[in-house]
Amino acid sequence: MTININVDENVMTAILDRLIPAVDNLPSAGQMGFTSEIVRLAGQQDRFKAIFNNAMHLFESHNPEFTSLASAEQDDALRRFEAESPDLFGALRTISYIVYYKDPKVHERIGWDGRTPQPDGNKMEPWDESVLENIRKREPFWRKA
Amino acid sequence: MTSNKGSREETVDVLVIGAGASGAAATAWLSEAGFKVKCLEQGFWQDPSKYASTSPDYEFEALTNWSSDPNKRQRDEDYPINVSDSPVSPVMFNGVGGSTILWSAHTPRFHPSDFSVKSLDGVADDWPLSYEDLEEYYDLNDEVMGCSGINGDPANPPRSPRQMPPLPLGSDGMRLIDAFEELGWHWWPSDSYINSQRYGEGRDACNFCGHNNMGCYQRAKSSTDLNYWPRALKSGAEIETGARVRRITTDKSGTATGADYIDSKGNERHQSARSVIMAANGVGTPRLLLNSSSDSHPDGLSNSSGLVGKNLMFHPFAMVTGVFPENMKTWRGPLSNFAMSQEFYETDESRGFVRGYTYQFQRSLGPAWIANGGFTDPIPWGEDHHTELSKRFGSMMGLAVIGEDLPEIHNTVDLDPELTDSDGIPAPRINYTVSKNSRDQLDHAIENARKVFETAGATDIYVDPLMRQSGWHLMGTARMGNDPVDSVVDKWGQSHDVDNLFIVDGSVFVTGAAVNPTPTIQALALRTADYIVSHRQDLKG
Repeated sequence: MTININVDENVMTAILDRLIPAVDNLPSAGQMGFTSEIVRLAGQQDRFKAIFNNAMHLFESHNPEFTSLASAEQDDALRRFEAESPDLFGALRTISYIVYYKDPKVHERIGWDGRTPQPDGNKMEPWDESVLENIRKREPFWRKA
Repeated sequence: MTSNKGSREETVDVLVIGAGASGAAATAWLSEAGFKVKCLEQGFWQDPSKYASTSPDYEFEALTNWSSDPNKRQRDEDYPINVSDSPVSPVMFNGVGGSTILWSAHTPRFHPSDFSVKSLDGVADDWPLSYEDLEEYYDLNDEVMGCSGINGDPANPPRSPRQMPPLPLGSDGMRLIDAFEELGWHWWPSDSYINSQRYGEGRDACNFCGHNNMGCYQRAKSSTDLNYWPRALKSGAEIETGARVRRITTDKSGTATGADYIDSKGNERHQSARSVIMAANGVGTPRLLLNSSSDSHPDGLSNSSGLVGKNLMFHPFAMVTGVFPENMKTWRGPLSNFAMSQEFYETDESRGFVRGYTYQFQRSLGPAWIANGGFTDPIPWGEDHHTELSKRFGSMMGLAVIGEDLPEIHNTVDLDPELTDSDGIPAPRINYTVSKNSRDQLDHAIENARKVFETAGATDIYVDPLMRQSGWHLMGTARMGNDPVDSVVDKWGQSHDVDNLFIVDGSVFVTGAAVNPTPTIQALALRTADYIVSHRQDLKG
């Protein structure tokens, strides 16, 4: 099954701007240019792609003038969509958050090294058996059958 | 009836359906004992170097192509499951290694009391075997899978030395542990099938990437494609991947004769066998048995008791999450396997319910996972987003509640009248309700988890009273017992109805205990295989 993504990227950009606003030295998420990455990533699985398309088409059909609304009105439209179609709104929010938190400038601001989990992993202090000192004093309390 | 369709293969001694936790263990044991064994697996081999944890898109992949929920993953080798009548969705992976590819590898054992709940507490039924009957197989399985942990847990019987020391607890883990100690409550480092040091051929130590809920690039997390399967193949076992079983076939006398299946190229085939072992998990096995009805088994194979697909048990999970005032870098270290508490495991009737629960300690992951809720609700969008992310990121810990879910006959797996997989084979349908006893357990656990987080100094506490996507533990749908009237298989996993049919997955559980079930599933599989070796040499050609 192949599903083409056919959404108005200006609407997605405007949605992103309201979902994740500017902070510190970073502009809002739409102005950081994440829309094309969202469209690319949504296309990586047919099931998700269909949900994403449905979400965007439903939102656009209910809000044909979304990009020209004032910010407060855009927030109202998004809140209505969130309440009426929580699963579809959730798909838009989920992929927006995923793409936003992939960005190195975002990583720098929140103090995250941003590596993929592998191959480097993380460092931890080794196992220290002395932590068992107290619990080892407890008598066995498992129930015999 | 034996199918005449498709091409015929050489008859094998044992045909194993499913290459996951239990199928791999049984195959290795039997092939090493000289049986000619073939396994049919609907999924494929996985290449650890291509797991999603090395991809920049790993967060997206974990929710889609690598989701543990087959209804979300939707790979060609997956089958759909109708979950519209269940508050809990089954999760699993179809491939060589089965769900051990995506499991957390938290591996506590059943307690002795778990096998005798009728005698001790007057509920459900006793198992037809005891902890002592299984202990040597637990030990054998630990050795193959590789267990990190330490002896001396006062909540459990003494056990053999673990293969490796425990995984490190971390300063974040100690924050929870200190709270448990202050409350005077039990805790202990978890038994985990995750390497704390190199163990097994080609398997590194864990490098604490955090994502033990994904396939393990390091091969540090044990999965049966890395241990049992190499042994099985070395001793002559055969595995066919991309092989989707349509039905178990039988002759006029009702004896199992093999399986009809669709191979990876879409050809209808038949594999003949002198015996069949079902290892397709607590949903897949009843689905196949019900799809295998015949003149001699009109209600489904091995279903004279009517109990195939009945008594489905999950462990309904609750999750309590605390946010601490400081960033403890909680993304370091296994997400969910470093410690547990069994303070409230055994029955205490003053609590208002029978049996009990385990707390499994949890960490958290990176910022996208946090933003999308992790184990709780997503972070709000809009003006408060950045402030809330800053509070939770690196600062969230969790307590997962695993309560004992007692068997109830109305909790079922059956065949959906309309839904099928891509080969037209009827798909399973789940009908499941959380019982009052399970709900009371979870509520009790939630209140006590609040006390832990308050004692530990958490500033915010979030509660998910019932996690939807938590049906990892699929149990009870072809239960074992001594009486064919009220059980499907005997204490050796042998069908009461069909003497050359065995079941070795979680379907055979009589009760579910309050721990992750895989070591028990694998120990039972080894015990069944051992029984076949010692008592069923007649199955050898």
